[in-house]
Amino acid sequence: MPDFARAQLNRQRANAALFLGPAVVLLACFFVAPVVVDLGLAFTDMDRTLAVTRFTLENFERMATRDSRLLASLGITAIFVLSTLSIFNVTFALLLAITTTAVPKAFGAFFQAVWLLPRMSPSVVYALLWAWVVDPNERGLLNQILMHVLGLPPIDLRGNLPLLTIILANGFIGASLGMIIFTSAIRSIPEHLFHAARADGAGPLAIVRHIVFPALRWPISYMTIHQTLSLLVSFEYILLITAGGPFYDTTVFSLYAYRRAFENGQYAYGAALSLILIVIGVIAALGMWRLMDMRRLLQPPRIEVH
Amino acid sequence: METDTLDTVAGTTLVNPPLRLDWPKLARRARLRRAAGQSALLAFLLAVSVPIILPYFWMVVISFTARSGGVSTQVLWTACAIVVPAVMIYSMVHLMTSSRGLRVAAGVVLLAIAAGLLAAHVGHRLHFANYRFLWDPNIVEEIRSKATAGGQFPSVWVAFRNSLALAMSETVIILAVASLAGYYISRFAFRGREAFLQGMLVLHAFPAMTLIIPLFLILHWVGLLDTIAGVILVLATIELPFYVFVMKGFFDAVPWDIEMSAMTDGATRRQAFRMVVLPQVRVGLIAVAVFAFIRAWEEYIFVRTMLIENTNWVMSLYLFWVSDDIMGVDYGIVAAVSVFYVLPSLLLYVFCQRYLTQMTIGGIRG
Amino acid sequence: MMARIELRDIRKSWVAATAVERIDLAIDDGAFIAVLGPSGCGKTTTLLMLAGIYSPTSGEIAFDGARVNDVEARDRNVGIVFQSYALYPNMSVLDNIMFPLRFKKIERSEAEARAREIAALVRIDRLLDRRPSQLSGGQQQRVALARALVKRPHLLLLDEPLSNLDASLRLTMRTEIRRIQRDLGVTTILVTHDQIEATTMADRIVVMNAGRVEQEGTAKDLYERPQTLFVASFVGSPPINLLEGRAGDGAIKVREATLKLAGSAAGDVVLGIRPESLHANASGMPSRIVAAEPMGREVLYSAEGALGLVRFIEAGAEARHREGETVSLAFSAESALLFDKASGRRLDARIAS
Repeated sequence: MPDFARAQLNRQRANAALFLGPAVVLLACFFVAPVVVDLGLAFTDMDRTLAVTRFTLENFERMATRDSRLLASLGITAIFVLSTLSIFNVTFALLLAITTTAVPKAFGAFFQAVWLLPRMSPSVVYALLWAWVVDPNERGLLNQILMHVLGLPPIDLRGNLPLLTIILANGFIGASLGMIIFTSAIRSIPEHLFHAARADGAGPLAIVRHIVFPALRWPISYMTIHQTLSLLVSFEYILLITAGGPFYDTTVFSLYAYRRAFENGQYAYGAALSLILIVIGVIAALGMWRLMDMRRLLQPPRIEVH
Repeated sequence: METDTLDTVAGTTLVNPPLRLDWPKLARRARLRRAAGQSALLAFLLAVSVPIILPYFWMVVISFTARSGGVSTQVLWTACAIVVPAVMIYSMVHLMTSSRGLRVAAGVVLLAIAAGLLAAHVGHRLHFANYRFLWDPNIVEEIRSKATAGGQFPSVWVAFRNSLALAMSETVIILAVASLAGYYISRFAFRGREAFLQGMLVLHAFPAMTLIIPLFLILHWVGLLDTIAGVILVLATIELPFYVFVMKGFFDAVPWDIEMSAMTDGATRRQAFRMVVLPQVRVGLIAVAVFAFIRAWEEYIFVRTMLIENTNWVMSLYLFWVSDDIMGVDYGIVAAVSVFYVLPSLLLYVFCQRYLTQMTIGGIRG
Repeated sequence: MMARIELRDIRKSWVAATAVERIDLAIDDGAFIAVLGPSGCGKTTTLLMLAGIYSPTSGEIAFDGARVNDVEARDRNVGIVFQSYALYPNMSVLDNIMFPLRFKKIERSEAEARAREIAALVRIDRLLDRRPSQLSGGQQQRVALARALVKRPHLLLLDEPLSNLDASLRLTMRTEIRRIQRDLGVTTILVTHDQIEATTMADRIVVMNAGRVEQEGTAKDLYERPQTLFVASFVGSPPINLLEGRAGDGAIKVREATLKLAGSAAGDVVLGIRPESLHANASGMPSRIVAAEPMGREVLYSAEGALGLVRFIEAGAEARHREGETVSLAFSAESALLFDKASGRRLDARIAS
């Protein structure tokens, strides 16, 4: 091989190692490896001792036949995901996007900033604020308003309506991402379409129906799938606000796996439960990849030299 | 067909003259519509935003007013009674006039009046005692007058320092790794490029939270459990696919000509990358850095799970345990710690907002 | 029909800049007006203010003598064809045309009939099922026109309607639009930067520059009696020769030539002579040909003479003079125009014959 070509080849390999190497190593160790580990773990009997003594299918047997809490958890998960998604993450996000783009820019920016606040603040702080607001005594902000403004008796939202509480808490966070994405889509609609519709006699509602919604069809589908997945696997705020309780009343599936592993020490069982989520995650990820415009992302490079 | 003229039009409905319109009535109706519409929208937005604004405002107020043994909302409502009308008056001014001078003048005047009223009515209630955790490391013990459930509490600055180290390390790792990988994917042809990209896309959409149990075990097996380093590596990795795509997007936007001319000027590709291309994506780097930092600063689940003995403290854990211990007893300190914890995130977000809105992945902005 | 449209002391300014400084205009019912000017002169902004999309910062717009500043766009019954056509991408051509009729409380069957009728008029009746993305530029423009006309507007506004079309299509559409306007009798305002479009389609032309009206009149007025330097140089192709000189004592001195004046003028002036007014003539000023550009129907020459560098044209496809050749150029005194250099306004003084 001529010198130039050999030097090229060496440099090419060096470049690959230098640029891609770190990413590949990190991803292999902490992203791909865990998937494999989880797969294996699900078939063991690892418990608090963190030792594996045998391989067994009993985790799956337990999931299928003996775990009533799991069944309840699935029900809770369904209610939680469907409610939060349909009320907040998609619908309310749409509403916010449309209303904040319909008012003068300064106001729109202000309200968008307000709605981004929960997402931007640390989860512990957000959970703390929720705890204060729904405090069952007189101190809680919610009760203050109920009692002094509306004349109603105080309520214990977290204790009596825990599912509602976590739906609201996650909803406020979830609405903000959709709001951003939808706003961006609305802003990219060419202005002259709005002008034409106005001159054609369309009022604000007609404009939303004929100009805005058609442009949002794709973002809405993407958001729905993306947020469904996100709600299925995230439990951070639930953990912080209700800890999955009272008892297991607000323990969604993902939290259930976490609690079994880290509160009860049943690591193998937790891994088996997580495996279900991992499979769902992979399927959803592949599905979303199909939806997105892959060709645009795969522009071929134009320089061939190293 | 090309010669059709008068005949075509004469036979159509188009020649029927339209009726005369009542212009003054239409003008009146339009003014009403506009006023009602805008007011309704703003009222709606305000109504749904109050549940968010109020608690944050409350948190700040409590941190400056609460005393041991309880919390009253009187200051909150008084402050609201002053601030809300001021904001509404300013909004009306802002809506009614488009002159910048008038708006600024109104803003300044209202601000002065509000500040004055606030000083008069609630000024005397403000104090910094709740912020004493900043210089007094033993507040929890003092309040509880015994050793606490969370073990010995360190000074908040220990937690702050650790959080800072965690966030900055994670950010640096992400910046470096994502830039390198993003650039390579964007600019180089290599075998398996498509597969790699597809893999990254799948990983990006894949929820990493599901892997928390096996990650726990992996860290345990390599001896990184209960170390900040372990958390840093895990956090950086699970965010990586997203940031690789973001950086790729930024690199895609850099024109090829710049790189080509650098190479004809004698640079190797690595040099071209370092000297010519990287500066072009400065905006992307800032956006990624800010976003990654805020994310790491607020991290709770992974630190809680991976840092098992209370030897390593970060801000999220600190706040959690402080509130767990003294919540019922001393709201003020908890509020003050919260404010202290939130401030960096908010400041970063406010100052870098325009960079954040430029992040895009495959056309979807976030 | 629709009556007068008046713009009184209209001004439109944004935070960063002022698009329209001052406009005073009156347009009669049924007239076809062209607003002609370079890009950025405020003509599109004016159009959108008439449509109700933008609101004037100050001043009054009146339809029929009644103030309409506050009337919303949807109530003004104005048809507008945008430069980009602005067709609704997710609707078929038929739905696009029928769109304005949704808001007029008309039965769907009647609305569809009207839409088909006007589609036949602009000759797109065979494209009704297609989407805008499947149409050519010319077809899209006709759909936009149909959509604007289907509501039987009081006022038709056209924003650079021909600029995106190729030359032959432009010619066809020019005739069609003029024909439709004449048949329907709807007051029409056309905005363009192309003087050919303006002169061939409209009855009267309003020339705008930097947010102001420079002159208003027929094509002939603008050509023969331009009131400002800008109008003189903007109207007329090839552009007028503008030669700087100094006036005084009943004469003006331009470079090496001194010409007698009829009337008085003083100070720095600009002499305007159109290329078509200069002829190679036995008793003219000796001028040396510097360039000869055949332009198809005529040849454009640049020549250097006593007045400086001037351009003149001669009919015919072939150049009869060569570079370096000396010809004697003359122009008729009546066709020459004099402008005050500082203000740009045309002076009454003329060249003496």
